[in-house]
Amino acid sequence: MLVFDALLAGALIWLAWQATHTPGLFRSVISFIVFGLLMALAWVRLEAPDIALAEAAIGAGATGALLLSALGRLAVTHEAGTPWQERPDLYFWIPAGAALLGLLTLAAWALPTPGLGDDVRRVLPDSGVANPVTAVLLNIRAFDTLLEIGVLLLATIAIWSLGRMPMPSAPAVRSPALTALGRVLFPMFVLVSAYLLWRGSHAPGGAFPAGAVVGAGGILSILAGAQPWLTGGVRGPWRILLSLGFATMLAVAWGVMALGQPFFAYPPGLAGLIVLVLELAAGLSIAMSLVALYLAGQPPDHWGPEAARR
Amino acid sequence: MTEFLSILVLLLLANIVVGLARVLRGPSAADRMLAAEMFSTSAVVILLLLAFILDAPALLDVALVLALLAALAVVTFVGRAWSELEIRDGDGTGGDREP
Repeated sequence: MLVFDALLAGALIWLAWQATHTPGLFRSVISFIVFGLLMALAWVRLEAPDIALAEAAIGAGATGALLLSALGRLAVTHEAGTPWQERPDLYFWIPAGAALLGLLTLAAWALPTPGLGDDVRRVLPDSGVANPVTAVLLNIRAFDTLLEIGVLLLATIAIWSLGRMPMPSAPAVRSPALTALGRVLFPMFVLVSAYLLWRGSHAPGGAFPAGAVVGAGGILSILAGAQPWLTGGVRGPWRILLSLGFATMLAVAWGVMALGQPFFAYPPGLAGLIVLVLELAAGLSIAMSLVALYLAGQPPDHWGPEAARR
Repeated sequence: MTEFLSILVLLLLANIVVGLARVLRGPSAADRMLAAEMFSTSAVVILLLLAFILDAPALLDVALVLALLAALAVVTFVGRAWSELEIRDGDGTGGDREP
């Protein structure tokens, strides 16, 4: 297994170099996709299956689709970039990177050794779930998750403020195989997503991978030429779903205060139910923001044939 | 049995590392994309074997997600990047020539 780890680490460093320093953009994108794939394996070796799951869903899947479709819209340039030997700014960046790495190593060294694992395990029976990661994300540190969902919402708002979706949503070359694939695979995406959401209460899973998987399913069906029934109008369902996660979390945070609890402190008997509701709402919002990020602009008020071909 | 599975995992990872040469050399965009797809298939098998070696059933879910989402990258490639690069470039290398 030591050989495995060494090979994995070597391949990761090589791919990181390739992703940032190859002349062709397409090669960089492919290197980045493979980097995400191997990173998922690295998280498995570090015994962090939750992060491996998120990396597999977001890093290897959704990011790859985002980068590839962005590449498809870029003007093709053949400039190779400056070779690294002729870049004087590297004399600044290499020492700066080394200093940052050193500081991070020092910080990791100075972390208290048993960590917070024992504290989390102690309060786990009251948290309403059996998986410590879900307990931290949606109960103990739910405020952090609220801010994360807020960042996703802000990113979507920023992209929508740039204008309407700039591209035809359907592929340039229509293939019957693609349509059939979309029809067969989309239910699988929804099923796996529901499974991950259910698993989240007692094993690695939860809102983030579940939302990413169903969002990836949405991207796949748009690529296959499907027209979403969700519209981007002012009172359209898309906006409601986008803000659902943030709104539900805030409502719960204040709602428990009406029951005499502090901000975001769930009543002990209701904790499991609250976590489930929050996971569902957050997962839906994450999925919708992923699809919105992929569309790179505000979706039309009415999806018609002209919107798909524009 | 575990030793045998460990050797298999190592071989599969070595397979990925050797396959990186295809990403490096190309020559066409489709070659690179197919290499990446081969890597995700290998990664799924590695995860399944690791789930048995380390006795961690959660890894089966990671493999499931990876297998499902591998389709997305290749569909995006065929649907968007490939066709557009080919149409604009016309030489079939996907606009990604060797320097």
